[in-house]
Amino acid sequence: MAYLTTFYWGWLLASVLLGFAMGWISVVQHGEGVSRKLRWALSALVAALIGAALARAVPGRFGYWLDLGLIMFALYLCGCAVGSWLRDWVVSRSAPPA
Amino acid sequence: MHGLFRWSGKWWPGIIPLVIFWAIAAWTSTEPLEADLAQRSTAALKDTILDKRRISVAGRDVTLAADAFSEDGRQGAVASVEAVPGVRLVNDETRLVPEAKPFVWSAERDVLRVTLSGSSPLPASKGRLLEAARAVGGVEVADRTNLARGAPPRFDNAALLLLDQVGKLKDGKVTLTDTRVSLTGMARELGGREAIAAALKNLPEGYSVAVNDVKAPPYIFQAYKDPVAVTVTLTGYVPDNNVHAALVAAAGRKFFREKVVDNLKESIGAPSGFANAVVPALGALSRLSTGTLVVSDREVKLSGDALYEAAAGQIRAGLGKEFPQGWQFKPEISVRPAAAPVDATVCQQLFTDLLGKARIRFESGQADIVADSAGLLDRLIETALRCPTANIEISGHTDTDGDEAANQELSEKRAQAVADYLVKAGLPANRFSAVGYGATQPIAGNDTDQGKAQNRRIDFVVK
Repeated sequence: MAYLTTFYWGWLLASVLLGFAMGWISVVQHGEGVSRKLRWALSALVAALIGAALARAVPGRFGYWLDLGLIMFALYLCGCAVGSWLRDWVVSRSAPPA
Repeated sequence: MHGLFRWSGKWWPGIIPLVIFWAIAAWTSTEPLEADLAQRSTAALKDTILDKRRISVAGRDVTLAADAFSEDGRQGAVASVEAVPGVRLVNDETRLVPEAKPFVWSAERDVLRVTLSGSSPLPASKGRLLEAARAVGGVEVADRTNLARGAPPRFDNAALLLLDQVGKLKDGKVTLTDTRVSLTGMARELGGREAIAAALKNLPEGYSVAVNDVKAPPYIFQAYKDPVAVTVTLTGYVPDNNVHAALVAAAGRKFFREKVVDNLKESIGAPSGFANAVVPALGALSRLSTGTLVVSDREVKLSGDALYEAAAGQIRAGLGKEFPQGWQFKPEISVRPAAAPVDATVCQQLFTDLLGKARIRFESGQADIVADSAGLLDRLIETALRCPTANIEISGHTDTDGDEAANQELSEKRAQAVADYLVKAGLPANRFSAVGYGATQPIAGNDTDQGKAQNRRIDFVVK
């Protein structure tokens, strides 16, 4: 993992920043989120992909691309979480007490 | 926490650029990553001995195909690649090199090249043997060996020693089958066969010589009698210093007129009975007016012109009988055309000239003519044939040593022996009278050994 991180750290950083930006926006964004059903379906898909990656079931380049995608996705999620949490903190501090 | 869950429902739009990023990252990083992993895997196998190694990388998966020389080496190679950082998994396509049973290695030499074939145990051995084959010198090297397991211990040492022997061959083949060595071919030089046999004693422990069919090149001795230059040229080989000296001395005695040119070299490898065959053969050559003697191993070829018919017959029939067992004689003797007749005075002059250059020799104290005098006698007979009407007195003389009566008798017997020799050669007996004078007609003083030697003589007197 350390080797891979050194090899394409730029892309990982980009994923984190993208996630951060998305998380920042999502706190104040209006509109409907993903439905609960779809959320479960997506979680199941991601879990299946993680399972396939850990089992090394996908060979060759596809396996590499899967690993790369999952790592970028994981960092995107981390970025989102941090961004959302930070925005929420900023918003709650600047809002007048109810 | 609940907020995080609620917000996460709105994170999906970022997935679209993320997918684009992912596609670009995959597009740009795959090939450099593969190249880097291939290079690191190759570096990891630097110290592992493998043959036909192929490394291919797809994503982070390395396919390693190679022939290993032991099970440990094979597993170690796979483990080394697995330990390379970034490698996800190794597709193991390694195998052990085939085992050769029996383990055969051979080196064949012909005029143009040395060809190595069979099996070598390791690439390093293969390289070393190829290097050694190049050092054999002056020839091209073709390496057709395969790598195989199952070589006997100390294979390299044995094979290097054998390659050294290939250098001593003109052509031939050396084969190592497990620990058994077989050699065939022809040695480059005289003594090469013996040198190879001696070197094979240094084979590593456990190795043995199964067949050694290396033949020696023919052992050649040549003598050429040149009537124009008045020389006898000896060329070729003699076994040792003693035989060398003996042959040159014998040539000096037999060729009383010719100068002996000694171009002989000493070398081992002479056939047995060499001197016993060459000495009489030189005697036969001395009887020819011109001729060549070629001794090749145990075959004696004598060609040239005899001075008269009976001499040719004697040489053809007689020489082979004098040879040791197993020797062959191939005479190609013709007869020189008879010289023009001369009158009695010239005949006497010719006799005096001949006997002035050399004397007819006898066994000490006896009346047996020694074989060395055959050449001189042939010339005396040839001269006698040129004056067919002249009667000749063959007179025997001695020095003053010993009893007078005994000397008288010895001189008579010796004169008679010479007369008999001439008759045997086909001359009419009535032309010759054998007379013994004992010590009564000295031509030099009897007080010195030299003078005595001059007085012990046979004279031909034309009457």
